[in-house]
Amino acid sequence: METRGSIPLRRFGKTDVQISALGSGGHHIGVAKDENTAVELVHTALDGGITFYDCCWEYCRGRAEDWLGKGLKGRRDKAFLMTKVCTHGRDGTLAIQMLEQSLRRLQTDHIDLWQIHGVGFANDPDLFIRPGGAAEALIKAKKEGKVRFVGFTGHKDPEVHLAMLNTGFPFDAVQMPLNPFDGTFHQFSFEQKVLPVLKVRGIAVLGMKPICGRADPVKRGVFTAQEMLRYAMSLPVTTTITGFSDMDTLKQNLEVAQGFTPLSESEMQALRDQARPYAADGRFEPYKVSLQFDNPEARMAHDFPIDLQQIETKELVAETQNTGWPFPS
Amino acid sequence: MKKNFAGSEINMTPDLKTQTELSRRRFLQTVAVTGISSVVPNVALALEAPESQAQEMGPKANVPVRALPNPIIPNFQGAYGNSSTPSFQAPKRPMGSTGLQVSILGMGGYHLGAALSQAIVNDMVAKALDHGLNFFDNAWEYQGGAGEERLGIALKAKRHQAILVTGVSTYGRKKDVAMRMLDDSLTRLQTDHVDVWQVHDVIYYNDPELAYQVDGVLEALTTAKQQGKVRFVGFTGHKNPSIHLDMLDRGFHFDTVQMPINPFDPSFRSFERSVLPVAVQKGMAVFSIKSMSGSGESVVRGALTPTEALSYAMSVPGVSTTVSGMNSVEVLDQNLEILRDFKPLAEEQMTALREHGRQFNDGRYELYKTTVKYESDLGRAQHGFPSSTELPA
Repeated sequence: METRGSIPLRRFGKTDVQISALGSGGHHIGVAKDENTAVELVHTALDGGITFYDCCWEYCRGRAEDWLGKGLKGRRDKAFLMTKVCTHGRDGTLAIQMLEQSLRRLQTDHIDLWQIHGVGFANDPDLFIRPGGAAEALIKAKKEGKVRFVGFTGHKDPEVHLAMLNTGFPFDAVQMPLNPFDGTFHQFSFEQKVLPVLKVRGIAVLGMKPICGRADPVKRGVFTAQEMLRYAMSLPVTTTITGFSDMDTLKQNLEVAQGFTPLSESEMQALRDQARPYAADGRFEPYKVSLQFDNPEARMAHDFPIDLQQIETKELVAETQNTGWPFPS
Repeated sequence: MKKNFAGSEINMTPDLKTQTELSRRRFLQTVAVTGISSVVPNVALALEAPESQAQEMGPKANVPVRALPNPIIPNFQGAYGNSSTPSFQAPKRPMGSTGLQVSILGMGGYHLGAALSQAIVNDMVAKALDHGLNFFDNAWEYQGGAGEERLGIALKAKRHQAILVTGVSTYGRKKDVAMRMLDDSLTRLQTDHVDVWQVHDVIYYNDPELAYQVDGVLEALTTAKQQGKVRFVGFTGHKNPSIHLDMLDRGFHFDTVQMPINPFDPSFRSFERSVLPVAVQKGMAVFSIKSMSGSGESVVRGALTPTEALSYAMSVPGVSTTVSGMNSVEVLDQNLEILRDFKPLAEEQMTALREHGRQFNDGRYELYKTTVKYESDLGRAQHGFPSSTELPA
């Protein structure tokens, strides 16, 4: 591989831990062509300087954690490993069961960052902090040394993020969508409403959805993927999580990240201005205004309708078929 | 019995519990009856027969039959299908500052347009008028125009008894589009004016900005009023109170506004708490919608009975009328029964229902606020969103 310099490392919140400014999205590892491709992607990413690895208990019914674990085998010490727990308002005891499953699938004895997945419903903060809720599991797991840091993720509503922060729970990290559309969608802008609060509190900021999840703005010709990724990485964040399921996409991402220097404020403003005509109704951020990107696990926990056409729903249903294969697809 | 996340039983008073079970059973029976009527041939034939007769009879069909309560409704035979409801008159209230008196229950246009046949629509409209329901909602986009056409036919020669309401579906487009839509609506509704013309579905966060632009839809509202094609103007929406407030704060004089009102609303992105007081203070007429969550989600899941749902909305101070979707005579009958027995709920009953609603404050029974489920393909297309088949909710 040609040398462009290395991916910059950034400080994780108030800690002394350094992580790469580009992070690997776990869902995409789980939907790689096959297991060998997934393992190879992880190896190449590690070699390219990506040290931050995202994953989640519910991605691909466990396949994403399984394949990531195989990719990290023997190289665990090079990675800052994150996974998420999918209680969606349910009990802390369920969270601990999910943690044990995650540890087994990821073939490790500890998670560097364990986060509450997909906080988005208005009552999620109350359900999280209630007696017996998932907050207790985070504390317990940290105390037992099974996780080093804890946080939460969500893509829905900045107000819900703020309500989570206002529970007073000591979060080490918070994850949220950051891209030029988010930056100008005033009603639901994480960049405007949540990012400044995290900076003040010294909480690590993890950006996600730099190209809006499914690259719709790229497909519609509003931005290039590189422009969007540069925008997200230039914000005052610890890392920007982006997904790659094939080697070409990974290499494009590495090209942007290796030797990365942030855009100037005027360049950032130009990208925001370019996004503004499409930002105000949320058309490129379906994760904020619709149920797209909300997994059946979350919908069922909140008694919301599930979408039978959604791939995650099909996987969930296929789970009961006992085909002999470890993960339904 | 449903359980909440903590695993404890949902807290309902014994009265509410009994009522829940009884009314739910009644509602489900009604649904079953409606379902059957669509497949049993003789019922369908009986309803369709007058229409074909009328075509054969030609001009004679217009001869009025004075003894009947609705003499000039085309094809009306003097009975509303097989059902009967005792005669009573719906209570009325002042419709904001318009000087009109409106029945506290109104007919939703979307569901009316979705009834099985024109004959059923005729029966429903006649029966509604006979019971004093005088509010008929519609929108340019319902059923591709058929919703307005059906209502126009059913209201023929009864137009003066009705407060006729329709919506204009510009979704950010300009005055010229709106004026063309108004002419379409008047033609379909077979009238020279509508009583209330509303900007339909103000549900995208930049819709207020687009409505207020130069040559925007609000200028059409003003012009139409000046031309006498509409008497009063307003807007509708179901998404976020902030969008409604944005529309109001920018200063245009609206006579009416339509918004979701139900026991779930007060604890989640509440229109009742944040928009209703502003509208009342401005002397506007407030039309409540989504009393049963939009498609009866809260009713079929057992969270509310139809009686509780309608009674709540009709009891909220400041609401002029509660627009309810009815797509069959049976559903109309159910609503009429509720209306006949209706007594405004006491404050403590209202509080109990709001408390009951609070436990669902993740929005599960208000999908129109958090998802795209209630956004029409027309509006989505104008805002560059995927269609309802590509993105169901």
